[in-house]
Amino acid sequence: MSQTILKVDHLSKIYPNGTQALKDVSFEVKKGEFLIVIGLSGSGKSTLLRCLNRLNDPTSGTIQFNGEKLNLDIAQAKSEQIRQIRKNIGMIFQHFNLVPRKSVLTNVLTGRLASTSTLRSFLDIWDEKDILKAEKYLDLVGIREKAHLRADQLSGGQQQRVAIARVLAQSPELILADEPVASLDPATCHTVMDYLRKVNQELGITMIANLHFLSLVREYASRVIALKAGEIVFEGSPTEINDSWFKKIYGDKAREVHIQ
Amino acid sequence: MKKQKFSLRRLIFDAACFGFLIVSIFIFSVEPDPIHYSNLHWLLGLGLLGFVAGAILSELFTRFKLRTTGQVLFGSKHHLVDASKGFFSTFSGWQLFITLIALFIVGVVKTRISILDLLDRDGFDGATRLFYDLAHPNLNLLPRAIINIIETIFMAFMATALAIPFAFVLSFFSARNIMRGPFAKVVYVSLRTFFNIVRSIEALIWAIIFSVWVKIGPFAGMLALMVHSIASLTKQYSEMVETVSEGPIEGVQATGANKIQTIWFAIVPQVLLPFISFTVYRWDINVRMATIIGLVGGGGIGTLLIQYQGQAMWREVGCIVLVIAIVVWLLDQASTYIREALK
Repeated sequence: MSQTILKVDHLSKIYPNGTQALKDVSFEVKKGEFLIVIGLSGSGKSTLLRCLNRLNDPTSGTIQFNGEKLNLDIAQAKSEQIRQIRKNIGMIFQHFNLVPRKSVLTNVLTGRLASTSTLRSFLDIWDEKDILKAEKYLDLVGIREKAHLRADQLSGGQQQRVAIARVLAQSPELILADEPVASLDPATCHTVMDYLRKVNQELGITMIANLHFLSLVREYASRVIALKAGEIVFEGSPTEINDSWFKKIYGDKAREVHIQ
Repeated sequence: MKKQKFSLRRLIFDAACFGFLIVSIFIFSVEPDPIHYSNLHWLLGLGLLGFVAGAILSELFTRFKLRTTGQVLFGSKHHLVDASKGFFSTFSGWQLFITLIALFIVGVVKTRISILDLLDRDGFDGATRLFYDLAHPNLNLLPRAIINIIETIFMAFMATALAIPFAFVLSFFSARNIMRGPFAKVVYVSLRTFFNIVRSIEALIWAIIFSVWVKIGPFAGMLALMVHSIASLTKQYSEMVETVSEGPIEGVQATGANKIQTIWFAIVPQVLLPFISFTVYRWDINVRMATIIGLVGGGGIGTLLIQYQGQAMWREVGCIVLVIAIVVWLLDQASTYIREALK
């Protein structure tokens, strides 16, 4: 049995406006898993992921992280620890969140910022090893030749691949992917998901992703969690999600959309 | 019908409006003894009385469901607008119309507009002679004018250049989206207030202060422009910082970068071009202001201008005005082209 990398216990999040985004959420993530979180928009998927790297602050509960280099309760971490957490837990966003006017290579190198001194990063002096690393990961996602283009000149799918390279440059133990393909066309969807699977299987990095499409979930997930109104309503293997589960998660009126 | 919500802005606007009308009618009809005008208490009392009376009127009108101009401007936006009504059939229309007429009448009295003075023969002849001299500049003064305007241009350049680093750093401390948290909020509010005060003091006043401090000359003028530029650029820069998109900031933050790295990698690339554009424009403005500042002893071409103007040597003044006009026009063109290219 492989080791637990993340243990979430009784996690709740109430926003200042009173919205309860997460209600007593508990689950575990094993090392090397490809965990996918599903649920309607507003069910708390994004909030959950953003609590795991403290882009959002949880209201109560614990998030025990057992990494190789880091062992702590994420929910209690203070500012310097939060930076260590973010260094070890990379994140991929729906809108890629690259710096538009900077080159692709510089964008990948920002993944190394946590390991670079403020002064050196200020003067744009990068470690030779870091540059090689950045180029290696651009190679891995197949856009090595775009390294010196401006990030905003790339297509959506290419930008998301740059974001993957940036996250890999951090050498994380866990990657959070918040709707990584929601703003891409169906064909590009699969390319990006394939790269995420490659990262998960070949580099052995644990993956937690939010997804909309069940067809993608069935294809890529090793395990699934479903959220409804901030609570976990399903936990299990993707093959277990039958019609009645689907209606329970998405509501009676919902119909499944298939993408090829 | 829903009860109208109380609006403080409506009350202040209408109080000022009606108060102004009441006070003007009072002064025109009663014609109080001019001796009162040097009495501060009398003046303040009259103003306050008018304002309070205006506020009471505004409340009364609102009670009787008359829509005042203040109500139209600041009241609830859900009120249905009857498009078929002209301004003359609405209360707010009349209120606005009468206020504007009253403003115009008081304005005519206060600025002592006089057609007679404009048509005065002697006055007109004097102006013609002056204009003739200005149009025939004494070009012997050209070398001195050029040397002096170079001084002015560099005053403006140094003021802008030295203001950049201050404004650059301070702009992040006075941007709302960066200054989060209780302590940061205090810094943000005090910086904003401080620079609003600095900006509301004209560069001309700063020049007078600095000409006492470091003696009359271009250095005083440069310092005055610099202070004003720091305040203005900080405001413009920080407004740019407030419009950056959040995405890249989160993207860089999520890698574990610290605050300074996040600003440098996620915000600065987004604001660099507008920053340069504002700075070029500020230099352009500073050259024009430096000319004026010279008039009070800030050095450069303005000082030369006030010397010859004082001696009524209009042909020399003409030469100086010509040089100023050409330089200002050239810089204006240059800054426009540069800012276009930066877009």
